[in-house]
Amino acid sequence: MLSVKNLHARIGDKEILNGINLEVHAGEVHAIMGPNGSGKSTLASVLAGRSDYEVSEGSVEFFGKDLLDLSPEARAAEGLFLAFQYPVEIPGVSTTNFMKSAINEIRAYRGQDAMDAVQFLKMFKEKMAYVNIDQTLLSRALNEGFSGGEKKRNEIFQMAVLEPKLAILDETDSGLDIDALRIVAEGVNKLKTPQNATILVTHYQRLLDYIIPDFVHVLYKGKIVKSGNKDLALELEERGYDWIISALD
Amino acid sequence: MLEKTLVDSIKTIDSLTQAQQLALGKFIDKGFPTSKWEEWKYASLKHLNERDWKWSPEKLSVDFSKPQWKHSAIIQTLNGNTHSEGALPQGIALLPMSEFMAQNPAFDSVWKARNPILDQNSLYDLNEALVNDHAVLWVKKGVKIVEPLLHHYLVSGQQDTAVQSKLFIYLEEDSEITWFEQQRSESSHAILSNYVQEIWVSKNAHLTLIKDQDLQQSITHVDHTFIFQQESSLVDAFTFSINAAYLRNNLHFYIDGPQVVSNLNGLYIPGEDQLMDTHSVVDHRMPHSESNELYKGVLMGNATGVFNGKIFVRPDAQKTNAFQSCKNVLASDRATMNTKPQLEIWADDVKCSHGTTTGQLSDEALFYMRSRGISKATAQTLLLLAFVQQVIDKLEHEEIRAELSDKIVNKIQASLGLTLL
Ligand SMILES: Nc1ncnc2c1ncn2[C@@H]1O[C@H](COP(=O)(O)OP(=O)(O)O)[C@@H](O)[C@H]1O
Ligand SMILES: [Mg+2]
Repeated sequence: MLSVKNLHARIGDKEILNGINLEVHAGEVHAIMGPNGSGKSTLASVLAGRSDYEVSEGSVEFFGKDLLDLSPEARAAEGLFLAFQYPVEIPGVSTTNFMKSAINEIRAYRGQDAMDAVQFLKMFKEKMAYVNIDQTLLSRALNEGFSGGEKKRNEIFQMAVLEPKLAILDETDSGLDIDALRIVAEGVNKLKTPQNATILVTHYQRLLDYIIPDFVHVLYKGKIVKSGNKDLALELEERGYDWIISALD
Repeated sequence: MLEKTLVDSIKTIDSLTQAQQLALGKFIDKGFPTSKWEEWKYASLKHLNERDWKWSPEKLSVDFSKPQWKHSAIIQTLNGNTHSEGALPQGIALLPMSEFMAQNPAFDSVWKARNPILDQNSLYDLNEALVNDHAVLWVKKGVKIVEPLLHHYLVSGQQDTAVQSKLFIYLEEDSEITWFEQQRSESSHAILSNYVQEIWVSKNAHLTLIKDQDLQQSITHVDHTFIFQQESSLVDAFTFSINAAYLRNNLHFYIDGPQVVSNLNGLYIPGEDQLMDTHSVVDHRMPHSESNELYKGVLMGNATGVFNGKIFVRPDAQKTNAFQSCKNVLASDRATMNTKPQLEIWADDVKCSHGTTTGQLSDEALFYMRSRGISKATAQTLLLLAFVQQVIDKLEHEEIRAELSDKIVNKIQASLGLTLL
């Protein structure tokens, strides 16, 4: 579904992504690992359409469409979802109102009728159970004054509501205690189907105990320098990144 | 100095009292405020010299269409003349100032000693010069009216007209009213709408004051509202500045007793070719009182906004709590906002805080929303409406809140060409 070829991206003069190649198919889970500052969040942001980054070379296809040509909202409507490493506060807008706007705009994009209040209520109830989130949190201004765990859980709730074809989770595990981590991981696992795919961005292998990846890639200085299966994550856990890096330099 | 031709025309007005002539002299000496006057730096009225003003406005009569919601009275001020439509509730009277003073002789000296801050306010002089024996709304002791009193303020003219209006509201001890004022205009000609409202809030009285300022693009509207609060009184003031080419609010609170609470809430949303200027004064003259100022602005098109918030804490005003916040969103590259908080504190045991911010909608927030499938226009609309809603939501009266909310939402959406699905 996703085909990234030789992707280069920069901010100003600073080259951050240096030729990324990545193929993701339906049903797969990919983990992208790598030390801090290696470009993981940048890759996620470029895929989601953040305009701060300039793509200087390369291409990204999503179900055969040129992803880079689409606005962020069109990418979402096409089925892409990014769970933010740092979810943003939206003052005065509740999660429920936020999600209602999102759903109905996506439905309009797809030529579907708007959902009504009753349908929303039923759907929200169902999805709340996925991540064990309660109504009071959803009625509050989105992310405002939320704890780290609440923010991450809310991201997964939004993912459950939007049912993306490709979900990119950027450090969704960071800042979570073990119970919250388990809830978030269970949510992600429940949402997995043979038709969708997940990219997990993380620099710990911890999350991968709960969500088993099919592929593990190591990102370093804006390039994927090594790929393997889940055993690579375990090896990184044991030996760190230095052995890969020193082999390169 | 006032322009020579205008001096000549204004001097043709006869039968002015001595006090009026004195005020007229002051106005002629000072003339209209210019940008050289610190208090009018961003809101010059020098251009008013270029019009051939008619100084005595036409008499108007308007059949006012009553609102759907329950109200206790309708009072109209039409080109400066105030009257009530139908009977007033028990315990409320509308009468000329001369009669009010005749019935309350002891108040005369108190009133004369009230001492509002009138620096650089030549328009107050103009108002004083041309208004004789204005109306008083007198709320008697212990009278509590739950349903709002609706005040319809209207200016109009078949030619360029300077309209002076003045109203005094007197709340006796333990009384309580909600005053909902709709400020309107009906004219394609230039109108200088110069409105003075002075309010005396006695011990334990409670006033809710709501101003809905929605005037036409040909109107220059200057609103001077001076509120004098006595011991243990409470005022909740709301100013919604929605439309007018030029809108200036001089909103003053004089805290003349202990245990006073003054709440100032304001929202201004100027669009293309509009200027809205708020100059607030909260003068803590006595101890143990509290003031809360919450102002928000959305500036669209090439709008200019001004907020100057003065807080004085006089030497006697120990244990004062004064809070001020003014937040602005520039919803256009061409809009400008000028903010100036001004705190002067002479007492030592006080808590004061203030903060002003002016910025654009956050790119981070917009990207986050768009990444969920919300279009840029909808995201902007949602953020702006949430921003203004925080002021609107402070209104307790449901119908007034809904009415104002619709009007504000419509103006913002129309000005920015945004719609919500
Ligand atoms: N907005 C930005 N402006 C300047 N530099 C940035 C910006 N975003 C990221 N970078 C830089 O790009 C590099 C990669 O950052 P990031 O993608 O956040 O890494 P990771 O998520 O792997 O920790 C870092 O050196 C970071 O400082
Ligand atoms: Mg990161």
